[in-house]
Amino acid sequence: MNATPETTSAAQGDVTRSDHDVARRDLENVERALIDQSARGPVLTFFTTAIFWLLVSVVLGYIASKSLHAPGSVMGPEWLYRLLHLERASHYIFDHLTYGRVWPAYTTALVYGWCSLAGMGVATWLIGRLTRVSIKAPAVLQFGAWFWNAGVAVAVITILCGYNSGLEFFEMHRVARACLFIGYLFIGIWGLILFRYRRQSTPYISVWYLSAAFFLFPWFFGTTEVLTSMPVAGVMKNIVNAWYQNGLFNLWLGCIGIASAYYFIPKVINRPIYSYNLASIGFWSWIFLGGLTAMTRLSGGPVPAYLVTISIAASILMIIPISTLTLNFVRTMKGHTGLMASSTTLRFTFVGTIFFSLAAVLGVVSALRSVDSYTHFTAWTHGQMHMFTLGFFSMVMFGAIYYITPRLVGCEWLSRTFMKLHFFGTAYGAGTIIALFLFGGLATGFALNEPTADKMGFYNVSGIANAYMPVKTYIGYVLFGVAQIIFAFHFLLMRLRIGQPAGEPTLLATPGEGH
Amino acid sequence: MQKPSILFTGIFGAFAISVGAMVLIPHTQLASLQPQVTWDEGANSPSDIYPHERSATGREVYVAEGCFYCHSQQVRDPQYGPDTERGWGSRRTVARDYIYEDVPLLGSQRLGPDFANFGWTAKVAQKDGSEKTVSMWRNEHEDDSKKPAARNERWIYQHLYNPRTLFSDSKCPSYRYLFETKEIGEKPSPNAVAHNAKFQIVPTHEAERLAQYLLSLDRSHELKEAPTAIKPKEAKK
Repeated sequence: MNATPETTSAAQGDVTRSDHDVARRDLENVERALIDQSARGPVLTFFTTAIFWLLVSVVLGYIASKSLHAPGSVMGPEWLYRLLHLERASHYIFDHLTYGRVWPAYTTALVYGWCSLAGMGVATWLIGRLTRVSIKAPAVLQFGAWFWNAGVAVAVITILCGYNSGLEFFEMHRVARACLFIGYLFIGIWGLILFRYRRQSTPYISVWYLSAAFFLFPWFFGTTEVLTSMPVAGVMKNIVNAWYQNGLFNLWLGCIGIASAYYFIPKVINRPIYSYNLASIGFWSWIFLGGLTAMTRLSGGPVPAYLVTISIAASILMIIPISTLTLNFVRTMKGHTGLMASSTTLRFTFVGTIFFSLAAVLGVVSALRSVDSYTHFTAWTHGQMHMFTLGFFSMVMFGAIYYITPRLVGCEWLSRTFMKLHFFGTAYGAGTIIALFLFGGLATGFALNEPTADKMGFYNVSGIANAYMPVKTYIGYVLFGVAQIIFAFHFLLMRLRIGQPAGEPTLLATPGEGH
Repeated sequence: MQKPSILFTGIFGAFAISVGAMVLIPHTQLASLQPQVTWDEGANSPSDIYPHERSATGREVYVAEGCFYCHSQQVRDPQYGPDTERGWGSRRTVARDYIYEDVPLLGSQRLGPDFANFGWTAKVAQKDGSEKTVSMWRNEHEDDSKKPAARNERWIYQHLYNPRTLFSDSKCPSYRYLFETKEIGEKPSPNAVAHNAKFQIVPTHEAERLAQYLLSLDRSHELKEAPTAIKPKEAKK
């Protein structure tokens, strides 16, 4: 059974180790350190640029959220613009930053900038570790990373300037799409080559998920690119778009996030994963069903009804991967939850997996027609999206970054206060954003479906936003944003090698002091 | 235990099933959709073809400004929601309605009302026997004080320039940058949203195209696969 990452099977409490074992372990530690060093350049590039896009997306998200309750308002202190004689410029800029431009720029920066780059960084490091191959020619990866970044930059800027393809989560300009794809080819093909030269014959669970993510993403992206640029008109393009979004979340981000959780949870608590067979069931059901749940996004729309029916059925069957994954994580953690008090990585990762289960269950519930008739066309769907990207994926990525970075830069995180603040800001900020999207969406849904609302035209619906939007902007996005600024600053210090001396990881609480 | 060969075959199988069921099968089905043609036996020529290709070019402006992030363009069947009751259309929209649209802007949110039939009009007989074209979209209640007299280009310009002057609670952005300040020639343009003695604020070419696009949105034509769900209310004279 290769049930722990890297099959070092370091069972806790293994007191009677022979000298041979100790020597072997030392050797493995040296090997790991060498692999880590080889991954240093590209992984740090991925992380740094990802965190940059995280900050960009938080700012854009704040503007987008604010423009839904205070449209046309200028962000930031007006006296500052006046002082700098930038009043006209600021008004010009903020006039153009309408919701219809900022929202797609926000989701692009969030999904392709932060989520994908952080995910690829973590994946690169994980592949190196799990295949026990040191990264050769890291320049190829660096090159891919910069290409991808150029693609995201072009995408965000052109969207803000008023270019949009009309396809959600695929709004980017053609140039941006080409950049993303070329960048991806450098990263993805290179990852497959690494896999080929692996020194670990049976791949660990995380490798399954990473293989799926890296293998499927170009297929989804390429198929969508080809089918949407074909001269075929009609709702086919909406169907392809819905299918692509589904693949992007379930099979690209979802698989990377789950892979990361499967590595770091057993790693930190130093215990094998609860059940390998459950993991296997979870994996196969996730990748087979995950690609079929797409059309609930078009429920009730002008598309063939059987498509929606298949997707609803697949969504309900998603209970299988969700329950097996949740069971596996929870049973692995059983008796070790106390470690969450001290380990940053474990705290972020485990909370992320809880968000994963919640988001996936919401996906099942809102696929049902009776629920969908209230939640369709409302912010509820944004709530689901944010639960997946901010609650699950970002949390898991933060956990991974907290674990990986010290091993690359050679010092430990400087401040446990920063880590705590980051955790609480992220958890409560993202929680506020998600909750308000969900409840606001539900309230809007009831108003939309109120037949007597006909008397009121649309006015009752647009009034609801006043109640919840300001809280989301001023508490949700501000809390989340401040936490990310602290995190970015902390990460910058790490890159400048300002931190605790290497050796003992910086813990949130001294062991024994906690629970 | 997952052998790499099984792993990759399985992953590829998952993709094949997904793309087959979700993309290729509907593609073969939808690619053959043609406009509905009513044949006039007497004249031996088609008397009525629906849909037509849209001549208005303002779709690019609609997409660039991201209107579809708040306004859907699809009317659902009454069993899904009261779309028709709200006056957003006379029937549900179906795939045939969109066959000429490059990327149909179905939308996924309704932060504002649905636009599938924004330019839906009907001819209503007047008392004196003449016919009058009235806007049918959103048949708001009679005593609604906020109901606009007509949803024509001028109303669209007012709304684009500052929606809050029409509806205080509107969350729609002001598209002031789609307007320009010009000197008044002889008299202010009928489309001017504001003017003083010397200057007027008039829509740019882009705003004009956008208005024309919005007024061209009409999917109320009867289709055999989507019978009219709700007969439009008799417009009051």
